[in-house]
Amino acid sequence: MTDTDTDANNDVRTDGSGTGIVAPDDEVPTWSERKERTTGLSRLTYEYFERARREDQDLRQESSYVERDVLGFPAWPHETIRNLALASFFVGMLLFLAALLPPTIEDPANPSETPSVILPDWYLYWSFGLLHLESLNPELALAGGEKIMSDQLYGVLANGVVFGAIAVLPFLNKGSARRPVEEPFWASIGVGGVIFAFTLSLLPIEAMFPWDVHITFDMAFFLPVIGAIITYAVLKTMREGYMYNLNKRYYRLRPPR
Amino acid sequence: MSLERKDEHDHGAWLAEKDLSLIEKSYLTMLIWLDRRLRLVDYLELLEDMYYKINLQMPKSHTEQYNLDNKFWYWYPLYALGSFSLLAYIVAAISGALLGFYYSPSTAGETPVAYQTVEAIMADLNFGFMLRSIHRWSAQVMVAAVFLHMLRVYFTGAYKEPREVNWLLGVVLLALTVLFGYTGYLLPWNQLAFWAGQIGVEMAISVPIVGEWAANLLFGGLSLGQPTLQRMYILHVFVLPFVVTALIALHIGIVWMQGIAEPH
Repeated sequence: MTDTDTDANNDVRTDGSGTGIVAPDDEVPTWSERKERTTGLSRLTYEYFERARREDQDLRQESSYVERDVLGFPAWPHETIRNLALASFFVGMLLFLAALLPPTIEDPANPSETPSVILPDWYLYWSFGLLHLESLNPELALAGGEKIMSDQLYGVLANGVVFGAIAVLPFLNKGSARRPVEEPFWASIGVGGVIFAFTLSLLPIEAMFPWDVHITFDMAFFLPVIGAIITYAVLKTMREGYMYNLNKRYYRLRPPR
Repeated sequence: MSLERKDEHDHGAWLAEKDLSLIEKSYLTMLIWLDRRLRLVDYLELLEDMYYKINLQMPKSHTEQYNLDNKFWYWYPLYALGSFSLLAYIVAAISGALLGFYYSPSTAGETPVAYQTVEAIMADLNFGFMLRSIHRWSAQVMVAAVFLHMLRVYFTGAYKEPREVNWLLGVVLLALTVLFGYTGYLLPWNQLAFWAGQIGVEMAISVPIVGEWAANLLFGGLSLGQPTLQRMYILHVFVLPFVVTALIALHIGIVWMQGIAEPH
């Protein structure tokens, strides 16, 4: 039975009844030959990848890096069961939170009744606060005595600026430093940003505070700066101790004069 | 012996030269027959590959290797925030799919139908109050975890050089998460939803040239109504889930490829 089958399949058939797989003969170029024959961008890509692979290999052979024995836990079952346990714990906490603090539903939408305080959900307070920066929008009497930019557009653009600043971050801050102590400047920028997000959130509800509205507005810009300066000072101080620990050996080994 | 090369793939001849029992022979015959048609060998290779991958051992982490636990134990909980937001996202997806069976995006009537269905979910549906609570809280927790995750990545410098692409992807995901939340809390069509929607429309309109077009595209008009709710619903249950899930997969895939950036 099998004999006849295999014999029949050895002949080349073009009626479409075979497996459709044609074995390559000697004249068919291999994949690498095909790649080498290409021109233009694909040729460049191929050459670059070949070089990169070569470079990688050379580096690996030159370096003193030793492939160490793996001393961790196996992915199955140890890692998997541990991760499942952690995931169940977190989901359990989530369900507990949901059971403990049930949501409310307010009045149905009513276009004719404006609530006393209009706010989005909490995570958009900072963004809504940016819409309340109209006193920073300069009045330039170029376009018929009106503001060049409407206050709302100014706020919308401020949102774009915030997202843009976050996006370009890795292109501004280079290097291999990983800890806040190593880069007090960037850490203080971060702390200032976090405080700014909180103080901005107060702007939409500034009318609810017992003090003057301008104080809230000024605080929105001063508190982040103050926080950033304090962070910078603290980290600089910590950094000295940190660097001292790193360099202790060096200082001690210095020959006396 | 002929000069012709021996056919390596002549399974029939190979089978004939072997001394096999009836069971072995019929098994092999069946296997060859199936393999000729379905190329089982390829799948067996995949299975073998998978077996070895599953049994791979995780290497020692950076902190374990250099015994830095005493210094950096306080970072550890913060390193779980990415996974936590993924878990919250999965919980929100499941509970949201269940809520979708009972919700209807309509502003018709004195009390809007959308509002009525949310009320019915909370009051009439068995386990409905809990279901809405789970969906709401998992969404809130996801947004919070995503923000804190971003802060952790910032303060531990994990966005630095080889990881710029993933940081940019993360910024896009942050915006989409917030948009997910926004479209979500507009759905019950209560006072919060309506007036937050009003803010959104006014923000869109204030942009020159493309503003009105954008407002029409996103909110279905320059004032809020049925088209707004319809579009928010479609964005929330049809567009964003696919986009965000794909981007999260990409985000995690890149972390997998590049490795977790641990503090040095």
